[in-house]
Amino acid sequence: MDVEKRVEAEMKRGWIGSRTKCKYHPCHFKGQDCTFCFCPFYPCGDPRLGREIESKKGEKVWECTFCLFIHRREVGMFAMSEIKRLGIESPRDPRLRGVFQSAVERFFRPGKALMVLGATSDAGKSVTVAAICRILHRRGYLATPFKSQNMSLNSKVTPKGSEIAMIQTVQSAAAGLKNPDQFMNPILLKPKGDTVSQVMVMGAPFGDYGVEEYYGEFVPGPGTRIVGETLRFLKDRYDFVVMEGAGSPAEINIYDRDIANMGAAKIAGAGCVLVVNVEWGGSFAYAVGTVMLIPEEDRKMIKGVILNNVRGSTAGVRAGAAELERILGIPVIGVIPHVDVFLPSEDSEAFRGMTSRGTGRTQVSVVKLPRIANFTDLDPLYMEDVTVRFVSDPKGLEGSDAIIIPGTKNTIDDLAWMRESGFAEAVSAMAGKVPILGICGGYQMMGAALRDPQGIEGRSPSEAAGLGLFDMETEWSEYKKKVIQDRGVLLETGEPVSGYEIHMGLSEVRDPPLFRIERYSGDETEGSFIRERMLFGTYLHGVFDKPAFRKFFLSFAEPGGGPAARAEPRDFDDAIEESIDRLADAFEENMDVDALIRIAEGGE
Amino acid sequence: MSILFLGTASGAGKTTVAAMYCRHLYRKGARVAPFKALNLSLNSFVTPEGKEIGMGQAFQAWASGIEPSGDMNPALLKPSGNGKIQLVLGGAPAGETSRDSPMDFRRVMGEACAAFDRLSAGHAVVCEGSGSPVELNLMHRDVANLGMMRERSVPAVLVGDIERGGAFAALYGTWLLTPDDLKPLLKGFIINRFRGDAKILEGGIRRIEELTGMRFLGVLPYARLKFPEEDSLSDSGGDLRGSSAMEAFIGNIDALLEMAESSGLDFAGLDEISGY
Repeated sequence: MDVEKRVEAEMKRGWIGSRTKCKYHPCHFKGQDCTFCFCPFYPCGDPRLGREIESKKGEKVWECTFCLFIHRREVGMFAMSEIKRLGIESPRDPRLRGVFQSAVERFFRPGKALMVLGATSDAGKSVTVAAICRILHRRGYLATPFKSQNMSLNSKVTPKGSEIAMIQTVQSAAAGLKNPDQFMNPILLKPKGDTVSQVMVMGAPFGDYGVEEYYGEFVPGPGTRIVGETLRFLKDRYDFVVMEGAGSPAEINIYDRDIANMGAAKIAGAGCVLVVNVEWGGSFAYAVGTVMLIPEEDRKMIKGVILNNVRGSTAGVRAGAAELERILGIPVIGVIPHVDVFLPSEDSEAFRGMTSRGTGRTQVSVVKLPRIANFTDLDPLYMEDVTVRFVSDPKGLEGSDAIIIPGTKNTIDDLAWMRESGFAEAVSAMAGKVPILGICGGYQMMGAALRDPQGIEGRSPSEAAGLGLFDMETEWSEYKKKVIQDRGVLLETGEPVSGYEIHMGLSEVRDPPLFRIERYSGDETEGSFIRERMLFGTYLHGVFDKPAFRKFFLSFAEPGGGPAARAEPRDFDDAIEESIDRLADAFEENMDVDALIRIAEGGE
Repeated sequence: MSILFLGTASGAGKTTVAAMYCRHLYRKGARVAPFKALNLSLNSFVTPEGKEIGMGQAFQAWASGIEPSGDMNPALLKPSGNGKIQLVLGGAPAGETSRDSPMDFRRVMGEACAAFDRLSAGHAVVCEGSGSPVELNLMHRDVANLGMMRERSVPAVLVGDIERGGAFAALYGTWLLTPDDLKPLLKGFIINRFRGDAKILEGGIRRIEELTGMRFLGVLPYARLKFPEEDSLSDSGGDLRGSSAMEAFIGNIDALLEMAESSGLDFAGLDEISGY
């Protein structure tokens, strides 16, 4: 068998450590051991490392896709030295079983969990988790981010086609991991209004819940079970599970039903740190109130406080911190200055009121749809000489050098809003004068017709005329979501693009395509592009992340009547990577990392 | 007759709530005046008598149906960059302060009390606090919050912002950190900027009442108002002087007041606290 031959070759070759020259390196995590590209212990049968599943043919198959054990340096090195010492030459040698058992005895340790709680929503939990993941990665630990329950409109598709919150994919990169997965964010809530959310479980749609049903039915039932299972799974694979809480852990009205904060921390047996944003003032009150409202038996799990986002001198805050330690009996392990970093936008309250961002020359107007989603698509534009204006009134489109219709949680309803508000007319009137791009739902709107005969997208069956900018028809024919990562090229220039699709409606496109997407099953074309009228449409979220399309699209904009002058655009991922490093530097400098690790290990 | 609205953090909504309460008393026929002992703000207003005060107090004065005056904001700190802050006392420039040369706390407190006394001689005084009252490193020389409670026994109401979450913690923590001798002056609390069905908050609200003895005065729904925010953090609503802006603001405050009344804000409770 092919795999056995590969393992045999690996056994002969000897220990090689990281194969940085390999085209796929690192396929799991930075610094991984590649001695065994294929595991010599397969199928190990250890339920902590994999599980038995049924194949399409109905056979029992050992599945261990997410196992990292053999790629740990000490494991790869030990396995190889044992194989050499015992003179094992065939992967079928029964003595491999013994090698596996002693490797497990020596090196397998369930990981430890650390919970990062925030006193408020925008306390800085996400960046703290990202910084801690990077710091642990720098120290050679295998760490993973985890947020049991995230409420976010910004999601991203993992390599395996699961939909999780955008921020966990960033934290995963911070931990040096190559493949974010659904275990990192098993429950994702996508708000559909003030009180109803679509609940996604393990990266796939699960159902719509109102606040009461969510806390009354989902949380005590499937929610708690899912959190327990995913935590156990992650602890079996990583040295540290760096957990992020949601909102405040001291919402005493729902305390017993909260599986995002102390509930998850208890399941994981996590040491907890509390992050407080100092920027708005009242941080000492928030810290004391949060700790003291948590029931006494849980309170003792909180073992450190981080005062975050201090602008100006930290001296005043440090003076207060000493007093805070005395009052709470919990050490302040970090006083972190404000760091200007470039990370994907969060669904902060700030976004609701945001009218523009950036101060660049090119004025890019984004139609601020009432149900706007995936607005992290726009983030790379902030690196350019661009001002992004979020326009809620069609009059605001005046003076735009380019227009973007972004993604939406509900295309049909937002299209109706486009008509009522006068946007439909205003955007159509500007076609041919400035470049117009529709992304996902925005792209669907630019077509000629939208049909939802079963009421899958909307609440009831409906049919609507689109803006008619593209010769395209979109139909929601079955309750099925297309969730996939895409990689390909911009047809006009042949330069690389990447992104991900998350949508339910499917489109029949008759205009020339924008991209060629590479797939295992063969290449496909994607999007629409009409050069003469400067019309662009695509299903790809993250379409601006790679520089090629960003540069191409902006080249059609003419700020002040002339071409947009700008430096060669950067890859968005590089900018994120650099930001994570700067963030981690700031935390390493201003936080007691050893104390943090002791808290995670439960040693304090 | 006075009342002090304290925020659990900057931007909790004290300025708006105070303006709304001014309006409520004005509509009831009271002679009412706004007051903020010490204001940190970049947005200032020059009164007809030529005194410089915080913009927020000017708006609150209009909501009270009177012209702004210097006594409404006896001390104003205007950040001028480079860590320097200009001090305006009694409406006139009074030098600069910085980390190395902090303001003379006793002098500012004295000015504040004198202004408060002058105002309260003829008005119900609706006071607004500044920032959080319990910044552990600053509270020993607090003027606008604990300062006024200590010097003039002004009864206080906490305004907690629930938009970012953690409102119960903020309210409880603020109460816990308030010095014991002043705790009896913390009479009640308001939860501001709530979205959704307030029923879900009930358990938490009861618990805060039990723990602190403060009275729950109501939940205010989320509202985006055109209003000059007080603190130096938020971008200013611009220069709204001139009659049309003022009218627009008054219209907003009236609308907010009606919204507060219909969402069940306990005005009778507030009146009991303020003594009006």
